[in-house]
Amino acid sequence: MATKRPVLCPNCGAQIRKNGYCSGCHMPMQVLRKAYNTSDYYYNVGYDKASARDLSGAIESLNMSLRYNKKNVMARNLIGLIYYEMGEIVMALSHWVLSVNYQTTNNLASHYLKELRQDPTQLDNVDQIAKKYNMALGYAQSDDYDLAIIQLKSTLSANPHFVKGYLLLSLIYIQRDNYEKARTTLRRVLKIDKANPVAIHYLHEMGSTDENIIQMRNESVEDDGLFEDDYTEEIAVSEEQAKNNGGSIGSQLIKAITDHYKENTVKMGAFGEVRFARYSGLYVIVGLVLGILLLFFVIVPSQKKKLKKENEQLTKEYSEELAVKNASITELKSEIDSLNAQIDNLLNMEVGTDNPMPDYSDIKSGMSDEDLQNMISNE
Amino acid sequence: MINFEEELKRYQPMPEVNQAEEAIYNNDLRDISDIITQVTEEIKQVNASQANQYAGRMRR
Repeated sequence: MATKRPVLCPNCGAQIRKNGYCSGCHMPMQVLRKAYNTSDYYYNVGYDKASARDLSGAIESLNMSLRYNKKNVMARNLIGLIYYEMGEIVMALSHWVLSVNYQTTNNLASHYLKELRQDPTQLDNVDQIAKKYNMALGYAQSDDYDLAIIQLKSTLSANPHFVKGYLLLSLIYIQRDNYEKARTTLRRVLKIDKANPVAIHYLHEMGSTDENIIQMRNESVEDDGLFEDDYTEEIAVSEEQAKNNGGSIGSQLIKAITDHYKENTVKMGAFGEVRFARYSGLYVIVGLVLGILLLFFVIVPSQKKKLKKENEQLTKEYSEELAVKNASITELKSEIDSLNAQIDNLLNMEVGTDNPMPDYSDIKSGMSDEDLQNMISNE
Repeated sequence: MINFEEELKRYQPMPEVNQAEEAIYNNDLRDISDIITQVTEEIKQVNASQANQYAGRMRR
């Protein structure tokens, strides 16, 4: 006889009673099932919107899905993926971490997190992007629009899918009455998120119709010149105006300056794609060569100079000492000569007299020199 | 027409990587089951306090 398997509560895992309430968390199963069904419904809506690249709409639906069931792992993973696509990596991370917390095995989020963990430079870049965006926001709030634009362009060249950055940049361009640039920026937003409500609001405010917006979505964003230097563009605009005014010398001058700038301008996007890691070996060799050159041309000569100076000082000291010693030797030699002369004189005097020198050999030892001298003088 | 100052207020600073923990706590929202649990707890507390009051009256 087949036994009936007990129905378990999806919330806490305890057994469901016959009255339809959970024995563990006392939840009414009917309500819970409805909530979970609604959550799945919103997940499906969100999935459809995400498939149609309506990312903002998808986020809204998926958030609704999580309101009904926060443990809906599929909804969590998808919302994380959408945030990742829109350049908000920290938000994506937080959703994936929660997802793994609710379901540890057989979860796509653990794969995503593993991918992120394997590339630590990506996390560094994410941190830099967040910092730069926050700085740009601060600059915009304090009316430093040029600095804000520079920071935002740097952020967007690092992550060309950063929707928030594009929206802020377009707002700044609108504030500066640069509507063409604002439209170009918003076109990029619509390429990533087709129905971004903020982008559509800005475009409507700038006078674009719904048809224009639909057309904009299909236009290419490559080589739209968004990351080109604003100054170059201003010169180009001046050139066009000069041409219209029929200026000859002025227009030629402007053309020459523009050409010069076009030749020498480094595109920010291109700069961001340069892989410096490729040349790391070369950098090490150049560093070593520079180090060796520094050693031979700066450090070694200075050491030599120092040693030479010390040597000279020592030589000087020793020669002075030698001179003093030589002087003392000469003095002592002359003293010896004079004493020898005295001895000779005394011997001659002794030979020339009948009265020989008294014999003091019997004198007891212990006499002082003074007594001896007195004795000699008495004699 | 777009009011720049008003629009700018809608932009919030982005969380940095070291603020991810805070973002996780913020994203862990309350769902239907949390609300039902809270309501059940409140009902239980109300019932318990009413039972206490009733018992007090009975003692008097």
